[in-house]
Amino acid sequence: MYKVLANENLPAFFESLKKIGKVYGPVKVRESSYDFREVESLSEVDLTYTRTMIPPKKFFVKPKETIFDFDEEKLEFKEPPDEEVKVILGVHHCDINALKILDSIYMDETPDKYYIQRRNSSFIIGVSCTPDEYCFCKSVGTSYAQDGFDLFLHEISRGYLVRIGSEKGYELINDNKDLFEDAKPEDTEEFKQNEKERLEAFKLELNVSGIQDMLGLSYEDPVWKETADDCFGCGTCNLVCPTCRCYDVVDYVGLSLKSGERVRRWDSCMLRKHGLVAGGLNFRPTRVERLRNRFNCKGSFTDGSLSCVGCGRCTVYCPAGISFVEVMKKVRGEL
Amino acid sequence: MVKDNVLAPTPAKILKSENMTEIEKHIELEILDKEIAKNFVYKPGQFVEVGVMGVGEAPISICAARKKEDLLELCVRKVGRVTNAIHRLNVGDILWIRGPYGNGFPMEKMEGSDLLLVAGGLGIAPLRGVLQYALSNREKYGTITIMYGIRCYTAMLWRDEFLHLFYEGDKINVEFYLSYEDSSDRQCYELQCERSDRCMQGVVTRLFGLKEVEPENTYAVICGPPIMYKFVIQELMKRNFDPKKIYMTLERRMKCGVGKCGHCIIGSGKNIKYVCKDGPVFTYWDALNTKGMI
Repeated sequence: MYKVLANENLPAFFESLKKIGKVYGPVKVRESSYDFREVESLSEVDLTYTRTMIPPKKFFVKPKETIFDFDEEKLEFKEPPDEEVKVILGVHHCDINALKILDSIYMDETPDKYYIQRRNSSFIIGVSCTPDEYCFCKSVGTSYAQDGFDLFLHEISRGYLVRIGSEKGYELINDNKDLFEDAKPEDTEEFKQNEKERLEAFKLELNVSGIQDMLGLSYEDPVWKETADDCFGCGTCNLVCPTCRCYDVVDYVGLSLKSGERVRRWDSCMLRKHGLVAGGLNFRPTRVERLRNRFNCKGSFTDGSLSCVGCGRCTVYCPAGISFVEVMKKVRGEL
Repeated sequence: MVKDNVLAPTPAKILKSENMTEIEKHIELEILDKEIAKNFVYKPGQFVEVGVMGVGEAPISICAARKKEDLLELCVRKVGRVTNAIHRLNVGDILWIRGPYGNGFPMEKMEGSDLLLVAGGLGIAPLRGVLQYALSNREKYGTITIMYGIRCYTAMLWRDEFLHLFYEGDKINVEFYLSYEDSSDRQCYELQCERSDRCMQGVVTRLFGLKEVEPENTYAVICGPPIMYKFVIQELMKRNFDPKKIYMTLERRMKCGVGKCGHCIIGSGKNIKYVCKDGPVFTYWDALNTKGMI
């Protein structure tokens, strides 16, 4: 179902979101640096942002969270409450598709209660974007979110063409009927034209046809050593990746030594400890194996979709300037 | 215990804790929540996450077949933080467990065949479960051959049990072979003098010189230090074993056990596997198709 949200109704729409729950949106924190933060008014949000440094995964797979508190007698679980709803406004196509990949992992046959509770109590509003020189979602097939959101706002000149992606999304529109109108033929025309221009605007391309075999055949390729020589092994690529979800588990003990908490926190496969097992043996002892493992993991398929959504973050934020697409092109023998 | 929380451990009381070697303990646990115990059904080759509050969790393979529903046996080698903490506990203390996890060995599939169990050091622990299961369903399996490689006599796990098989196994169609690496080991040398057809000095693959294995009707089951797999598989492939009939169980740093934390991911683009949920038991065929598995 499609509706139009006119520009003049945007502030009222924003107020209606606050009735659902806490609203989070992309906020400009520094020159060309954005972050999803809690927002009180529409003026704080920049819906024309390029990309946030930390993807929306942070709302669902927390950077650090307590699984349970323990003392001598019992465990007290810290699952997030059902009722606390978060509205995440302004999520790009790639990040919505990334959440779907996380869903297939965290909501499989052994579902993660913490993740599910957060996912169920979130309201996701997508927003259209313009690709920059780092975006390659078009190449990996994630340039358009077909589902995985409640509402999706596509910018048109008089406001936004709104796609409804869920019953929750429909309810919001139903409760605020006076803010929305039906799409007119000229709105539809403009939407189509915008999509055409958006898809033509991609500068970066990566051919992913047969990429898994290319990776399999390139296991001993010098590209891994060459790239690892540049890599600092800092793990930034993992933190900013919308599909990286490795976590580490640590116990923190209180001063009494009798109580404490079990915490999980983001981990990084680029760190030496990741492949370590008891007794000191490491299955990925050098940066070469670790880097290769990361690219293979991203180049693998989860439920039929590549585990990379082409958001470009790992390339943008890599302090060593390693380009994901460039490395993959070397793997393919194109560079 | 929160019912639908996969990360929720359940308390288990240490019933027995026996030093088998200087660094390995055999621990028997009783799952205290009887409702959970009833559903705690495990197969040989599966593992549990064993936790000590305030220290952490470690994946440990179950070392015995399931005999009683609230009972669990583990062999814990003192090598890291968690396992050191486990070693400090006494009978009556509580360990927190989650599981069972992993696929385990396909015991049904191997029915009607001979079994060749090849273990190195601590690798005997998960294979002891396979052995116990096969012995309690003796009529379903043919000859059971065990090749066990140890460093020295004092490093031999479940020494009484296995020495009994060494001497008496043939009566129940179990052939037990032993190899030891320390050439100055007197006790092992004595065993070798007694049964030179069953005991040899050297690495475990030397035992293939003592036993003709029939690839047609045999399933091989391997567990040991990573380096061992390559050489044992070489021996098996020389004898034309079907890669799908070679099972091995792998070790990784599984933090969650349920395919989330990512530490045990292996493979290249085409074939990514989680050791914790797709394994830890894999065939050599899987290894041929998954880079970095062995």
